[in-house]
Amino acid sequence: MSKVVFCEDDPMIRKLVQTALRSTTHDVHIAEDGKQGLALIEQVRPDVVFSDVAMPEMDGFEMADAMRARSDLAHIPIVFMTASVQREQIDECFRHGASGHLAKPFTMAELRARVAQFSKN
Amino acid sequence: MRKLPRSLRLYVAASTLYAALIFIAVQFIYTIELAQSGIFIARRDNGDLLSSIQLVSFIVWLGISLIAAVVMFRLATALAGAQSAEAEAKTSEEQKDQELGAIFGLSSALAGPLSLEQIGAFFVAAVRAALPPHTTIALIVYDDVLEAFRTVAADGPHADELKDRSYSAVALPSIVRIRVIDHRQSLVIPDTSAEKAMWTKVSEEMPAVAGAGSFAALPLVSRERLVGALLLLGERAGDLTPDKAQMPVIMGQYVAGSIHSALAVNEAEARAERETLVNRIAQRARGTLDPDEILRATVDELAKVLGVTRAVVATGDSEAKLEVIYEWTADGEPSVGLGPRDLPVSRLAARLGRTLFVTDIRVDRRFSDPKTAAALAPLGVIAIAATPIRIGGRFAASLALVHTDRPREWTADDARLIDSVAQELRGAIAAAEAFEQQRQAVAELERLSRAKSDFVSIVSHEFRTPLTGIQGFSEMMQSEDLTIDEMREYAGDINKDAHRLNRMITEMLDLDKMESGHMEIHREAVDLNVIVTEAAESMRPNAPRHPVSLRLDPLVGEVSADRDKLTQVMANLLSNAVKYSPEGGEVVVSTRLEGNTAHVVVRDHGMGIPKAALETIFERYGRVESLATRHIRGTGLGLPIVRQIVQLHGGAVWVESTVGEGSVFHVTLPRGATVRPEVAEAAS
Repeated sequence: MSKVVFCEDDPMIRKLVQTALRSTTHDVHIAEDGKQGLALIEQVRPDVVFSDVAMPEMDGFEMADAMRARSDLAHIPIVFMTASVQREQIDECFRHGASGHLAKPFTMAELRARVAQFSKN
Repeated sequence: MRKLPRSLRLYVAASTLYAALIFIAVQFIYTIELAQSGIFIARRDNGDLLSSIQLVSFIVWLGISLIAAVVMFRLATALAGAQSAEAEAKTSEEQKDQELGAIFGLSSALAGPLSLEQIGAFFVAAVRAALPPHTTIALIVYDDVLEAFRTVAADGPHADELKDRSYSAVALPSIVRIRVIDHRQSLVIPDTSAEKAMWTKVSEEMPAVAGAGSFAALPLVSRERLVGALLLLGERAGDLTPDKAQMPVIMGQYVAGSIHSALAVNEAEARAERETLVNRIAQRARGTLDPDEILRATVDELAKVLGVTRAVVATGDSEAKLEVIYEWTADGEPSVGLGPRDLPVSRLAARLGRTLFVTDIRVDRRFSDPKTAAALAPLGVIAIAATPIRIGGRFAASLALVHTDRPREWTADDARLIDSVAQELRGAIAAAEAFEQQRQAVAELERLSRAKSDFVSIVSHEFRTPLTGIQGFSEMMQSEDLTIDEMREYAGDINKDAHRLNRMITEMLDLDKMESGHMEIHREAVDLNVIVTEAAESMRPNAPRHPVSLRLDPLVGEVSADRDKLTQVMANLLSNAVKYSPEGGEVVVSTRLEGNTAHVVVRDHGMGIPKAALETIFERYGRVESLATRHIRGTGLGLPIVRQIVQLHGGAVWVESTVGEGSVFHVTLPRGATVRPEVAEAAS
């Protein structure tokens, strides 16, 4: 069973993710912003992190940078979920060490496939 | 006795022989005749007759010989006299030949292309030979570029006082000016002490010649043009007479042509140089559209060609407020300096609307009042030419060319040059200004276009968030086994996101409506404090971690406003204050009455707004894009909507902010039913 941390400030999307992954075997943890997310990651040590970019307190990129600065968290892959499909913004995600990108709005199949891709076994 | 010509001697010998033959023949004939006639008888008495005939014959011969001798003597004398006259004539001719030779030598020396100075040296040397020693000779020519006479060559005791001088026409002694320059007649004063009154005046007007005992001024005319004059200063009275002046006059006729050519070359060169300058300036001006570059190039070139020591360009909307924007100095050291300066000459030129020429400002009465003199003193100006540059009929700039080293008589050529350069400058500056305006317009369009695409990107981002919910939940309802309760719940979520989407669209459309003046406002008496309180109350559940405190002045009371719109204003301001403040950051809303104006202040302790963005945040698409606001959600339409609504009510909204400390938003609303005319129109 793989552990997944989601960081998303929009309550509706949080609920959607939770609902969509309920039927899977993944251990899903959800944070409301980057700050909460970082604390959760430290605690859970997930196999993969899915994160929004625009969030209050600490945004997704700042959270990613903070993780890269920590030797014990640096190896955890991050997938950014952005509403933008602009080339530059997707490039920026990868500059911040993203392992993947998920464009909003996404389908449930897409979401599950992405989660499965980064899960163990 | 002088030698007689051979022909004459032959003639004398022949005539003597002839006379002797006649005598013998006559004697012989007589003898025969007498013998035949029988008279010649060997008688003693006959012998008397014969000897008397012989005697008569001898006397006749002697007479003839004597007459011949006298004639011959007379002839010889006459001939000898004639011969000596001829010799005399020959000597004077030789002298003339010599003088002519000098002139021919001079004219052949002048055949090639020569500078004025070379011509002058030849000329003075040639004239020197024809005049008594110790005569001072000076050649002055009319320099069209200087528009004055200048000494090109001088020789003699007083030469030093005449060398390297220039004389404007009025600086020459009046008699020389009138007689020699104007009427092109020679002026010869053989004895200056005999013409006391006249000479005193000449000496005053031209001190360099005062010491002369005799004086001559000879015009040099070539092809109807007076090219210069020869000044001769005799050491003693009588050194120069009209006779002695003849030679220099003749030589002068030869030299005048050469001087004319040399002058023409000089003038052509000067003109060509100036034309080249104007062309070069025009070219450089067309080569660039940067007004500063045009200015630099033009002013540098002009200053160098004119040989001034300083050139200053000052701009200003009026002559009273001149600001130096460019300065050129011969030594490269700034002297006036950039910035606002009091430039009296430029100011006067601007007021008069024409170029102003000052030969020597220290003696110019136009600038002698104490205030002007005080302003001029630190500038060190001596000679100056200042020209105003007008663009589109209004004063735009002033160009000043300055001598700090010496006075200068500005010539018509200088004036033409300055004027043509000013023309170029004017055209170039006008073109560059137009280009600059165009460039700004384009930049503004680009900014708008960029803002618009940013806006599209922000909006699409904001739209996609509720869309994600709608799409996700509907997908699950479609494909998964759900209970009826789950179905209901998800349908409710979809509905919420749909409303959210709708609200965003409404906001955008509202702003469009307000901006195009199609928004209606429904005024009624509204208690401002109530509106503020309600907005704060509805905000609190959404911002549990931001304390919102109210400081309301009960005197504010009612205002004439659209209740819903005013509520929207307060909600937007409050949600911004919360959104941009860290958790726990207090938000304070206060109201107060100022005269007939209600004033609402919303103070937050958030990140603050950079100075450059204080105005743009009220513009559509104007949200400050920075690292700090990246995590802030929103279409960026909140503040533009606030401003539109407040303005529709005849009020004003602005912000004060310190980055890192927080922002204070101010809204003022007139309490009375004052409605802006265009709003009333839009509302009707």
